[in-house]
Amino acid sequence: MRRGDYTWAYLMIAPTMLGTLLFHIWPVLQSVYLSFTTWNSFGNYKWSGLDNYRRMAHDAEVWSSLGNTVVFTLITVPVGLALSTIAAVLLNQKIRGIPVYRTLYFLPVITMPAAIAMVWKWLYNGDFGLLNELLGLFSSAKVQWLTNPGLALYSTAAVAVWSAIGYNMIIILSGLQGIPSHLYEAASMDGAGGMRKFFSITLPMLSPTFFFLSVISIISTLQTFELVFMMIGANSPVIGRTQTIVYDFFKYAFLMNDKGYATSIAMLLFAIILVVTVIQFRVQKKWVHYE
Amino acid sequence: MKKGMSLLLLCLIIILTACSQSGGGNGATSGTSGNGGSSNAGSNKPVTLRYGIWDENQAPAMKQIAAKFNETHPNITVNVEITPFDQYFQKLETSAAGNSMPDVFWMNPANFPKFASNDQLLPLSDYIASNNIDMNNYPKPLVDFFTYQDKVYGFPKDFDTIGLWYNKQLFDEAKVPYPDGTWDWNKLLDAAKKLTDPAKGVYGIGAAVDSGQTSYYNLILQNGGYVISDDRKSMGYDKPEAAQALQFWYDLIHKYKVSPTIAQMTDTTPESLFESGKLAMYTTGSWEAVAFNNTDLIKDKVDVAPLPQMVKKATIINGLGNVAAKNGKHTAEAWEFLKFLGSKEAAEIMGSTGTVIPAFNGTQDLWVKSMPNYKLQVFIDALSYAVNYPISMDFRSIQQTDTEQLTKAFSGQIPLPDALKAMTEKDNAMLAAEKG
Amino acid sequence: MTMNRSKFQVKWFIHLLLAIGAFIMVVPFAWMILTSLKSIGEATQVPPAIFPRSYHWENYVNIFGTLPFMSFYWNTIVTTIAKTAGQLLFCSLAAYAFARIEFPGKNVLFIVLLSVLMVPQQTYQIPLYLIMVKMNWLNTLTALIVPGLTSAFGTFLLRQFFMSLPKDVEESAKIDGCNHFVIYYRILLPLAKPGLVSLAILTALWSWNDFLWPIIVNNSPDKMTLSAGLASLQGQYETDYPMLMAGSVLATAPMLILFIFLQRNFIEGIALSGTKG
Repeated sequence: MRRGDYTWAYLMIAPTMLGTLLFHIWPVLQSVYLSFTTWNSFGNYKWSGLDNYRRMAHDAEVWSSLGNTVVFTLITVPVGLALSTIAAVLLNQKIRGIPVYRTLYFLPVITMPAAIAMVWKWLYNGDFGLLNELLGLFSSAKVQWLTNPGLALYSTAAVAVWSAIGYNMIIILSGLQGIPSHLYEAASMDGAGGMRKFFSITLPMLSPTFFFLSVISIISTLQTFELVFMMIGANSPVIGRTQTIVYDFFKYAFLMNDKGYATSIAMLLFAIILVVTVIQFRVQKKWVHYE
Repeated sequence: MKKGMSLLLLCLIIILTACSQSGGGNGATSGTSGNGGSSNAGSNKPVTLRYGIWDENQAPAMKQIAAKFNETHPNITVNVEITPFDQYFQKLETSAAGNSMPDVFWMNPANFPKFASNDQLLPLSDYIASNNIDMNNYPKPLVDFFTYQDKVYGFPKDFDTIGLWYNKQLFDEAKVPYPDGTWDWNKLLDAAKKLTDPAKGVYGIGAAVDSGQTSYYNLILQNGGYVISDDRKSMGYDKPEAAQALQFWYDLIHKYKVSPTIAQMTDTTPESLFESGKLAMYTTGSWEAVAFNNTDLIKDKVDVAPLPQMVKKATIINGLGNVAAKNGKHTAEAWEFLKFLGSKEAAEIMGSTGTVIPAFNGTQDLWVKSMPNYKLQVFIDALSYAVNYPISMDFRSIQQTDTEQLTKAFSGQIPLPDALKAMTEKDNAMLAAEKG
Repeated sequence: MTMNRSKFQVKWFIHLLLAIGAFIMVVPFAWMILTSLKSIGEATQVPPAIFPRSYHWENYVNIFGTLPFMSFYWNTIVTTIAKTAGQLLFCSLAAYAFARIEFPGKNVLFIVLLSVLMVPQQTYQIPLYLIMVKMNWLNTLTALIVPGLTSAFGTFLLRQFFMSLPKDVEESAKIDGCNHFVIYYRILLPLAKPGLVSLAILTALWSWNDFLWPIIVNNSPDKMTLSAGLASLQGQYETDYPMLMAGSVLATAPMLILFIFLQRNFIEGIALSGTKG
């Protein structure tokens, strides 16, 4: 029976383990190796030690992309979480039409990012975009949302926030619904008002949810690529002010055939994600309350 | 704490799912890779050839040619594979590494030296000699484009030159005479001033820098300068001729305001500004004729003239060739198809459909006549003063640098002289490295 | 009385806030649909008309003429169904073993599986691409499907589900001497239906919307997915906005329709992915 158990277990996990080994673990190990190699265009590569990493340290482009990515993340994540929280709290009230609102807020989550980028590019268009037309009701200035170097990154971040609100909202909402009502009742007995209840009960009770959301949002935002690739594009005058670290990776890997350098950029991203996540787990002890 | 642990695991999980599918499967499939062996041409084994191209607009004509070829070679089927131009050469290089290049594919002069010097292309000289093919059927510059160390590697397919397209309706409204072969830059500027109408959002011309071939390469040449030196050791961007030419282009946007800004042209490409009647003039290649002819908005409103001159007349000439992979599995069949692609019959299909200017001597007229509504002869006449497209061992990297720097300069982020200086330094360093 | 009035005001205020948010969420979709029915001239006129003067359905017809949109649908549907089916089968098998059987090396293997979730996809993309080149899988659906047939995330999600089921559901079957496959198939799978539905929805959604991998491995138009097809549409008709918007409508419509019918499952699936812990 035991022996049979083992056989069954190994048979059952075999496809998944094999897939993981072939398509993840082996490629990751290869990547580590490739990040120490230099490629020519025809796929011949040679060992070049730390060359890629040295080059990266002096590469102004990579550093500015990293800066863009950090700024993008620092805007998108807090703003996105704040707006999602407000939406979730409002949708947790006893009013009519909740399902309709929930559906509408959720629409962007299931929409193809490629389509989202295309539609927003059109809305942002400087000459014919709807946004400038609406602004035109108040002023005659034509705003270059996606081609003004000081603005493009923020315009892109706004779309990222718009797309993510629905997802965060649903998760915060299920967190809200998990807060036992007797806590609120007890607080009411003590004469606490709505605001005080929110800050002394709701927020602390939601802290695990916030922690979870902040970890995954930061990690996914650090990998922003599609929006920049589709909305800004390689030939834009502001690409330097908007390109993200994954955009750099894509450029070197699949447009310039500099695959060794590209893998070292991927390693840098991995290291950053690792460090940020570890720090978050360290800091969480200070602010996350588990029952 | 237990909750903390599982939350931790969960985080780890979503990390990935937030960004990708996870992989897996049973990769127990045998990959086959070319062994370089060639099959016997005489055999009638059914063979499928892959034909790699990058232009969707030309796909119908290419498929027509493939079908025609199949009539005389029933055992050879040709599959046309389209890859967008942006990725075409990078993909080709990668598949060369994996020995999975298409059997026959398009090549352009800018990338040819790299492929030929890396021994990726099938040398054709012996085949050409044994089949008594006369390479004088093609204009010499085009044959030279695909010759490396005195060996021919490709058959010229087509060529293109640049012209000044203009919107007749806007010219009529502004009462400006149409451009003709006598115009110089000053005439162009005068006309552009008269044609610009800020109230309507109409501009005289689009001074874009995303493609040197359709814009500043020609200006530099017309001003007596050069893009790359004959020995391919240095770029001509630091010469006064080039600086003046680019300054003229720059002034159209910043000083005279007769062109949309780079920002505007990023939002809406010059091509579509032209197609929607917002640009009176647009410099671009002969390949656009078929696209304009298929756009109802402007089909009957536009025409073309020679580029304006300065010190002299000049336009860039570029051409494509058909080449075969050296390590293909069916080199004998690939040669048969190449031979047909280089034939007059194939050229006639390309010409009469209006697709491109065929390279085969004497068939260009078919293309001119395919769209009698445009003065297409302009592009053929340009052969007499055309200058070859600049090339080096790895010209793509150089172009990337140039576009990056000029975009910054033209959008006002850095001074133009600084950009030209940076281009010269970086490009020359790359050229020096190519030799190494 | 005052109490009621202030309550009423609060409700009204909440509705106002929610409506403003909903408006911002919906306008892009509305504008996408409206633009897709205009002519180019109408789309770029200043000031724009909100509604098209006449409906230009030909934008949709033209798309099918210029790009093999039917192939895009087919490729996306085949890829999505294959990946979803593969993950449901393989993830549930592995999840059962990890949740219900004791075997040597179980913990180590599970940690190895989870470690995969720590690395961003860029870390393995290049070698994975090179594997596809070696296998001659570029420009085939195989390249899109095979790497996504199994998933560590799915295995973890379903394992959580199996763990939450009480051990005694399969006791009697064990005593009857049923083998593990029978227990998995007859007893646990039916109980895990909500988890399976969630996984199916999430997998289908990610597969349908996936962008980076398809544009890397497949760029021959007859092998593109809708996502990659949209990118190439944008490259080709940079400013035929009605055409681009029609393409966006076509690409997103199937998922939106599915969502409308399976709304509860979608939302539960997302909530499950975030709170199962």
